[in-house]
Amino acid sequence: MPMDTTTMDPEGVTETLNREKVQAYSGPEPEWLKERRSHAWEVYEKTPMPTTRLEEWRYTDLKKKLDLDGLAWPEVTECADDFDACPDGLRDAMEADRAAAGHVWGIDGLVFHIDLEEDLQQKGVVLTSTRRAVDSHPDLLKQYLATETLPPESGKFEALNASFWTDGILLYVPSGVRLDLPIRVTRWVSQTGVALFSRTLVIAEPGSQVSLVDEILSDDLESQTLVSDAVEVVAKDGAQVQYVSLQRLGHGAFYQSSQRTLAQRDSTLDTLNVSMGASTSRVDLNAQLLGPGANSDMLGLYFGDDTQHFDHNTSQDHVAPNTSSDLLYKGALDNESRSVFRGIIRVHPKGQKTDAYQTNRNLLLSDNARADSLPNLEIQADDVRCSHGATVGQLDAESRFYLMSRGLTREQAERLVVMGFLGEVLSRLPLGGVVEKVTNVIEEKLRQV
Amino acid sequence: MPENETLQDLGLDEYKYGFVDEEKHVFRTQPGLTEEVVRQISAQKEEPEWMLEFRLKALDIYNSKPMPTWGGDLSSLNRVLDDIYYYVRPQDKMEHDWDDVPENIKTTFERLGIPEAEQKILAGVGAQYESEMVYHSLKQEWEEKGVIFDSIEEGLKNHPELFRQYFGTVVPSEDNKFSAMNSAVWSGGSFVYIPKGVELETPLQAYFRVNQERMGQFERTLIIADEGSHAHYIEGCTAPVYSTESFHSGVIEIVVHQNARFRYTTIQNWSNNMYNLVTQRAMVHENASMEWLDGNLGSKLTMKYPSCFLVGEGAHGEILSIAYAGNGQHHDTGGKVVHAAPRTTSSIVSKSISRGTGRSSYRGLCKVYEGAKHAKSNVECDALLINDTSRTDTYPYIEIDERDANVGHEATVSKVGEEQLFYLMSRGMSEEEAMALIVRGFIEPIAKELPLEYAVELNRLIDLEMEGSVG
Repeated sequence: MPMDTTTMDPEGVTETLNREKVQAYSGPEPEWLKERRSHAWEVYEKTPMPTTRLEEWRYTDLKKKLDLDGLAWPEVTECADDFDACPDGLRDAMEADRAAAGHVWGIDGLVFHIDLEEDLQQKGVVLTSTRRAVDSHPDLLKQYLATETLPPESGKFEALNASFWTDGILLYVPSGVRLDLPIRVTRWVSQTGVALFSRTLVIAEPGSQVSLVDEILSDDLESQTLVSDAVEVVAKDGAQVQYVSLQRLGHGAFYQSSQRTLAQRDSTLDTLNVSMGASTSRVDLNAQLLGPGANSDMLGLYFGDDTQHFDHNTSQDHVAPNTSSDLLYKGALDNESRSVFRGIIRVHPKGQKTDAYQTNRNLLLSDNARADSLPNLEIQADDVRCSHGATVGQLDAESRFYLMSRGLTREQAERLVVMGFLGEVLSRLPLGGVVEKVTNVIEEKLRQV
Repeated sequence: MPENETLQDLGLDEYKYGFVDEEKHVFRTQPGLTEEVVRQISAQKEEPEWMLEFRLKALDIYNSKPMPTWGGDLSSLNRVLDDIYYYVRPQDKMEHDWDDVPENIKTTFERLGIPEAEQKILAGVGAQYESEMVYHSLKQEWEEKGVIFDSIEEGLKNHPELFRQYFGTVVPSEDNKFSAMNSAVWSGGSFVYIPKGVELETPLQAYFRVNQERMGQFERTLIIADEGSHAHYIEGCTAPVYSTESFHSGVIEIVVHQNARFRYTTIQNWSNNMYNLVTQRAMVHENASMEWLDGNLGSKLTMKYPSCFLVGEGAHGEILSIAYAGNGQHHDTGGKVVHAAPRTTSSIVSKSISRGTGRSSYRGLCKVYEGAKHAKSNVECDALLINDTSRTDTYPYIEIDERDANVGHEATVSKVGEEQLFYLMSRGMSEEEAMALIVRGFIEPIAKELPLEYAVELNRLIDLEMEGSVG
């Protein structure tokens, strides 16, 4: 007999994560935010923990992968707003990000540095931390944070994040303002055995243009650390937005990111998710195409080694007519690593003239690697063009043979073939600095292979 | 079809197999599924004790499994399942001579063109009416070569060892809720054995007809293709149109031994009040080849995924699936290939057409186990949407545990191209003719694999379904 979930003990309530903690944490906050957190917690308690019986969690068993009971609340990590005083790993990452319109640096879930070009500030661009925005820009948070884009009702982790977020990034771009250079966010995790919750909110007003590159990284972590991100991106009429997530956490991290993008009329809203690190990495990305002429390019790149587990769960919702989306996720898997890709294109009844594509390609580099791919389509309009494809295969022996015949060693040839395979994704994202950085990260990983 | 013949000229403007015969039966169980019903079926068939135990165990498994929550809408199925007759015996014994078949049943099958087809193109014919096979015959030349083509009940009676060796091994009762149900109440179906090295030049055919209102048909077929043999089996299904719903749940088990080739063709054209939930699976051994050709035109809801378990090195599996979902119909169909041995290859080609409020879903699995080196698999799905109320879905599952494997999946969804329509109409065709031509072109890769008579029939059905679809 199925049990009645309402009478069951709420799942995922621990000594660290509980109602009292939510109340204590939001104690000094304004009333509206207290209510939001308290409501999110109620939703969290009512929502059962996802199990592999759920289609969307079929291949990622949280019982085995995540131990919520073992997580503590983080200490506040003191970090002076001083480049030279930062941990080495963080400094190296920031070093590569010098060319930017603005920077955000964070450590263990708290932002400690923000800068933004002077003339952009004058044009009304807002770049701040969500914690500071509670005082400085409450109206923006009230309207957009965990409301229509990613409300707590979206799922268990979304509700948990909305209850406990400690900080994050707020980026607001006024009508018609265009940023030539990207905003670079670099976040470092130094504590181990803790739960970190962060939010990113990007609002691009009509006709504006902005790119945000969000990098999170750490050394290897001794005990399991939960890193939870919630990302909400809104591109209004005619806006152009690029969101790039670069995940380079160390082993021991359980990375969980929920992302939803809303693309209004004639807007372009592109995303790139690069998953390189963490022991387990789960990304839920939902792209909503809400206005005619909206377009989303969705790119993804992953490289697994050791026993890494990647799970990318994407969806493309074509709600309005004349919208387009194009998804390309590619990954290479070595050692005993494993990847799951589950994608769905949903064309709603009004989504006539939709143009939607979805491709997932996997390269297995070892006998013990595994790739599961579930590219789905649900089409409820007739005048559409949709296609999807998925492949799983090994290294192309002919390419390798050719390169070796030109004098390369086997290892060099293999690296080159893998680079070429993954490079297709990067070639579709002409964003200065990011391509180089990702290329370097992949090469670093390949050298360890 | 001659050029420029319109759809009306064909005179096929309704489901032509929807006629009803007078209900005549010599025995039937009470509606609903109970242990008593299972015992009665077993007693009616004078079965050995082990089969009764097999059935009762399967009933327990059926009762313990929850209703699937995926696939089609099964919300009203529980009501249907409480309401239907699980066993209806139309006559006392099965006949081998067409002349001995009772007049009313004979007329039904004659209207469906069965004896005629037998004369022309078939090596053997079986016909099932309600719960029992009423007729089975095999041409003498094949009988002499040791081919067995019998009702499943006669298989159990006359070849007990062969039967018991294979029965329930390809599709165990535990496999899913409906294979458990079938295992509990199975009745009718074919038992086929093709001896070593025998190549059947013409197909065997089984024909399934449900006439009784509120009736469940649970045929069970067991086919063994011994080493190096080669055969083709065709099944066809129809039922009258009633306002109440009927239910059909078959289990087909096929064992294809080393170097053998077997092809199984289904032309499913149940009336639109039928739930059709079928488990079809083949165990394919070394260098053997299995082909499923699955045509789904009728029924209210079909959930059916013919499967190839490639367990011997070099085994090959092929699934060609075509679905045509008209108003109110949902076909949740596709195929499964499981690669469990090295150098196994497979291909799935699925074509679906949705018209009116019809919905067709492709659901498929391609699984490569570790050690199945050099396995290759390719899946292609094409969906055609005719109206803005039509719906199509694609749910492929790809699970790869082996590096030295190559697996691909491609799917496209499109509307009947305005350019194609315009071109054909500029050559003097009406919009309807042009539409029918495009749809026929779309399914052609599958239709051409069918024996000629069936290809013609499929095309006529498509024409019939296409009528009035424009505008």
